[in-house]
Amino acid sequence: MADDKDVLRDVWFGRIPTCFLLNQDEVTEREAEPYYLLLPRVSYLTLVTDKVKKHFHKVIRTDDAEEMWFEYEGTPLKWHYPIGVLFDLHASNTVLPWSITVHFKNFPERDLLHCPSHSVIEAHFMSSIKEADALKHKSQVVNDMQKKDHKQLWMGLQNDKFDQFWAMNRKLMEYPTEDGGFRFIPFRIYQTLSDRPFIQKQFRPVSPEGHVHTLGDLLKEVYPVALPNE
Amino acid sequence: MSLCVLDEDEFHLCCQLLLQLSEQLGDGWSWEGGQEGYLRKTALRSVVIDSSSVWDYEGGGADNSCPSRSEQQEGEQEQAAVDASADTDRINGDMEDEDDGVCVASAGSSQLLQYEYHILHSCSYSTPVLYFRACTQEGRSLSLEEVWSSVHPNYRLRLQNSPLNTITLQEHPLLGQPFFMLHPCRTEEFMRPVLQAAQDQHRPVNYVLSWLSVMGPVVGLDVPLKYSTLLHPAAPPGSTEPG
Repeated sequence: MADDKDVLRDVWFGRIPTCFLLNQDEVTEREAEPYYLLLPRVSYLTLVTDKVKKHFHKVIRTDDAEEMWFEYEGTPLKWHYPIGVLFDLHASNTVLPWSITVHFKNFPERDLLHCPSHSVIEAHFMSSIKEADALKHKSQVVNDMQKKDHKQLWMGLQNDKFDQFWAMNRKLMEYPTEDGGFRFIPFRIYQTLSDRPFIQKQFRPVSPEGHVHTLGDLLKEVYPVALPNE
Repeated sequence: MSLCVLDEDEFHLCCQLLLQLSEQLGDGWSWEGGQEGYLRKTALRSVVIDSSSVWDYEGGGADNSCPSRSEQQEGEQEQAAVDASADTDRINGDMEDEDDGVCVASAGSSQLLQYEYHILHSCSYSTPVLYFRACTQEGRSLSLEEVWSSVHPNYRLRLQNSPLNTITLQEHPLLGQPFFMLHPCRTEEFMRPVLQAAQDQHRPVNYVLSWLSVMGPVVGLDVPLKYSTLLHPAAPPGSTEPG
């Protein structure tokens, strides 16, 4: 993956300019100013918005304030999806900055997972990493890593440290060349037009005849409606 | 070991069989969702929410969900929970937490809760996965803390020390709503001896049913022993096990 370093960096450092606005129904002691932030695409909303909470806590009645949650045009935003996925799913056609509404009341229990602390985000992130490795390496690589290696992965994400993150992640991205690639490619196709949040299936990187699969092959196999008619 | 993996087709076969048995026993399981679907069952449980218990659970803990080999405790074999079925659904106001050294200031009260259980297939781990949610009679969803508090004391120590079956709040992969989930990544480990023994003894085994008899009782899901007698009505020696 060394020759893809530029791509890796571009992905890691992707940012979305965002404007956080307090929900109009919140009772405030004075006018709430919007808060602007450049959100990292690869991170999670609840991990990078401590400053947003601090900012709005200055103007609302904090004794009433419950867990902060976010909404875009009436849709509660799932913090456990990467920020880039949320933007692409809900707001990719709109003008920047992305306007997100902040709430401190009426947490939508049926739609959103609770996120009481950063350790919940860490658990979720590590769980995703482990699941991906179950598909790539039957969990062998992730299980052979030490606890401190897992921690380094997380800290790299949390503190936006590309090199620290990739020092560990490269192990998870290696495969024996004789096999042609990972056992299965960990992918998810997110969609908004269905109750089902995403499509995830077992998909091999190489065909039985030995041809390397492309993204087009994947879509043809698992999501043909996305492809234009021949 | 391909013995311990359950692919989607085998999962469907096991579920079909389980449904037939469930129908005979009136156990209430149904299949939802068509081809890419899941088993579903609802149940009313009388449960004590002992909210004064001290738990180190926080979201399953960063390190508590599926530790790597270098972290895990010496292998703890999950045995079929024979004692589970007895008490899980009959917890009442009696405090039974003599084994976890918890100082209880006030007794938790007994509540009638509506539970909904789903069994899905994980293509990542090639195992079944148990999802569930619970709410009060008024329709209020239980929090993670309350769910942990309602786990029978017999299981609490096991859950805390052996993160084989951590309970976390997850998005249901088919419905997109928050559900509690028992983590599947260690399933292969505890199923291996069960499946190996069945193979050695030439006994048929239903992966989903055996798995459920271990996981279910932890979260109050009873698996009547009658399933077993229906599954093995004096099987002749030398009969081959299903796929």
